[in-house]
Amino acid sequence: MKNPVKRITWREIAHQKFLMVCAAFFVIYGIVFYYVPLAGWVMAFQNYKPKDGLFGSQFVGWEKFKFLFSDEVFLRVIRNTLAMGVLNLVATFLMAIIFAILLNEVRNVFGKKIVQTVSYLPHFLSWIIVTGILHDALSSTGIINELLVKFGIMDKPINFFANPSYFWPIVAFANVWKETGWNAIVYLAAITSIDPNLYEAATLDGAGRWGKIWHVTLPSLKPTIMILLIMNIGNVLNAGFEVQYLLGNGLVKSVSETIDIYTLTWGISQNDYSLGTAAGIFKSVVAIILIFGANWIAKRSGENRLF
Amino acid sequence: MKVKLWRCVFTASMSAAMLLGLAACGGSDDAESSDGIKTFTMFTAMPGTEINDDNEIMNIIAEKTGAKLKETWLTGQTDAEAIGTIIAGGEYPDFINGGDAMMSLYDAGVLVPWDDYLEKYPNLKELYTDEEWDSFRQDDGKIYWANVFQNTYGENRSTTHNDQAFWIQARVLEWAGYPEIKTLDQYFDLLESYADANPTMANGTKNIPYTALCEDWRYFCIENAPQFLDGYPNDGSVIVDTDTMQVVDYNTTPTAKRYFQKLNEEYQKGYVDVEFATQTYDEYIAKLSTGAVLGMCDQWWNFAYNVNDVFKQQGLDEQGCNYVPLGLTIDEGMENRWHNYADTLNNSSGVAVTTSCSDIDAAFKFMNDLLDQEIHDLRYWGVEGEDYLVDENGLYYRTEEMRMQCADPAYQASHMCNYSYMPQWLGTSRDGKNAMQPDQQASEFLDSLSTPLQKLFDAYGVDSYVDLIGSVEEEPGPWFPMYSYSGSMTTETPGGVAWVKMGEVKHEWLPKVVMAPDFESAWNEYMTAYNAANPQDFLAEMQTELERRAGL
Repeated sequence: MKNPVKRITWREIAHQKFLMVCAAFFVIYGIVFYYVPLAGWVMAFQNYKPKDGLFGSQFVGWEKFKFLFSDEVFLRVIRNTLAMGVLNLVATFLMAIIFAILLNEVRNVFGKKIVQTVSYLPHFLSWIIVTGILHDALSSTGIINELLVKFGIMDKPINFFANPSYFWPIVAFANVWKETGWNAIVYLAAITSIDPNLYEAATLDGAGRWGKIWHVTLPSLKPTIMILLIMNIGNVLNAGFEVQYLLGNGLVKSVSETIDIYTLTWGISQNDYSLGTAAGIFKSVVAIILIFGANWIAKRSGENRLF
Repeated sequence: MKVKLWRCVFTASMSAAMLLGLAACGGSDDAESSDGIKTFTMFTAMPGTEINDDNEIMNIIAEKTGAKLKETWLTGQTDAEAIGTIIAGGEYPDFINGGDAMMSLYDAGVLVPWDDYLEKYPNLKELYTDEEWDSFRQDDGKIYWANVFQNTYGENRSTTHNDQAFWIQARVLEWAGYPEIKTLDQYFDLLESYADANPTMANGTKNIPYTALCEDWRYFCIENAPQFLDGYPNDGSVIVDTDTMQVVDYNTTPTAKRYFQKLNEEYQKGYVDVEFATQTYDEYIAKLSTGAVLGMCDQWWNFAYNVNDVFKQQGLDEQGCNYVPLGLTIDEGMENRWHNYADTLNNSSGVAVTTSCSDIDAAFKFMNDLLDQEIHDLRYWGVEGEDYLVDENGLYYRTEEMRMQCADPAYQASHMCNYSYMPQWLGTSRDGKNAMQPDQQASEFLDSLSTPLQKLFDAYGVDSYVDLIGSVEEEPGPWFPMYSYSGSMTTETPGGVAWVKMGEVKHEWLPKVVMAPDFESAWNEYMTAYNAANPQDFLAEMQTELERRAGL
């Protein structure tokens, strides 16, 4: 039996020198912009002072990490980041798939185009605008409260931003509103590439609309779903910075602060770059673990995987 | 193949060159235009309004001094974040006023020492006495910045209470027949009965009896009242008990508890604005500007300049919406120290010149020129004949139209040029007659009062806001204000870390205890969270500094 692994030989490299040179630029780019900055991680083990620089600052070992993990606030911040990350992931992920499938079932092409365009427009709004709209809509004189009071659901307006238990749902809702249409594009594209013969066959076998969605559309989307899920899981800790920063206030601080905000308050505002870096490293390490974990699970269950 | 390869290399290097080029474009732009006028840049870590590039007085000053200043302000960040970002970015404006984050700039080693230039430029030197200048010295023995506020030239002319107080609208006092309001309880009783009798304003807007700002560093509006209610001056971060020479934490005193309990009661009864805890500074100012808010606790400079201009423009001042200060205490018969008669020297903050400035000498000369009487008059009074007139005795005065014009934001942007975060004087002009700044001119102040305010001043028999608040007149100790020390703390020390954490706990819990259905249990939870921040570390360091300052 022949060895299935194709060996890379010098001859082949010489043969592909054009591609090699082109690729070299990207490798250099990657090294310069992704790996060289990692040298800054040294800061996390120093008591870094801008005046003394990377080489002059005092080395303190794990001191900064000890401070981090003995800080109750940091532990709470991790909880918030994970909770909002998972909530956002689940909400936006499900909504995008459901929305794509429903939109695909619309038979009126014109109506479908309009809905699709309108639905992904919010993606292009910056968070400052989205949070501004939310702030106005949910304020005590805003449209939501006016409606609730007018229809007698509430007897007086409530201040949504004053209650910590509303904060995560508000953030998840904002994410869904902003990203559903945009995320659905990938699924819609995947749906168009499904072989129409499959649908015909399903019809012949007596499947109705639901049957076709369940037995044809969803299984065909599964590879796309898995890949996107793995990629998004690595992003769970990027639960957001702008939304929480812009919507948060003193009252909901205990549920609104994410790792990024913590890094900003200690790293930039308190000028403790070392502590900020340490928090950043922690975040990166967790993200790497998550993405490998998700990939491993996908591999185990025999699904498509990222690498 | 060869050709393609070279094309690939060429394109790649072109894009690399473009990237580098873009990065280089962000460099310094100290410009000297063709007419020899230098343009300096300045960042102030405070929100402010940019004036127009063709601002008239800015150009007059530029002709006379050969320089102008392009000011930029804080937007949507805290001062510490903005300064931290600038330090991390490594690009500095020529001048910088870093608010409470001056120490970070000093630590980054980007400030230019003033010492040599002080000898060269007498107007700058004149700002402070040698002793005061010494208090600005950092641990390397040099001076890197100078505070620009609360600095009186000659005779003190203050008419406004440029400090903190519980403020109340003139219409409320008028309605009640100008009663004496001395305690917190009386204050809220009056707000309640007024709001019950007058649920709305003349135009139908619903009155808001009381609001409190809690946003970011401005949460002092809700936070620091206990020190004043106990009759102490604004040391800002602690009370100094002058009998025992001990620092006292005003967050945990019985007065603090009574104050927050009162706010809690009022909130439960519906007299406190439901949005107080979540409003931003802009929303707060917008709310006050409608004239609907009857009272709040705040610093004059935090609201008055914006809000009073709007009142004047909208005619709300004639409806008695202007705020007057009350010198409240927790119990009756106590002295109050809300007003500070002497200048407060906050040596932890001020204006500095950075090492990025290409002509440092010219920068100091510019600050020196800005303190010339002629230029100073241009900055604060404006152009003679246009913005003010001079009577036969040499006194400056303004007509009603001129005052109205000066309250117009569009006119301020196109014409007025305060350079408000550059060195400046309060008090009496070098001509010995006028005030350095118009709102301190007694005649101008009394003439500009709205009718309801004049009636109120007559009813209480006072001539100024200062008389009205009736604080004890005394010289504060050499340690005053203690906040200049807490303001310069860093997270290097346990006390500095505790100070940051105490702030975070208070930010979260103060509005929470006010809104809690069960005050007692919320207060206990707050105290547990507060003690977990180790306030004793902070207090110990404050005590050491107090003893150092008091020379014990």
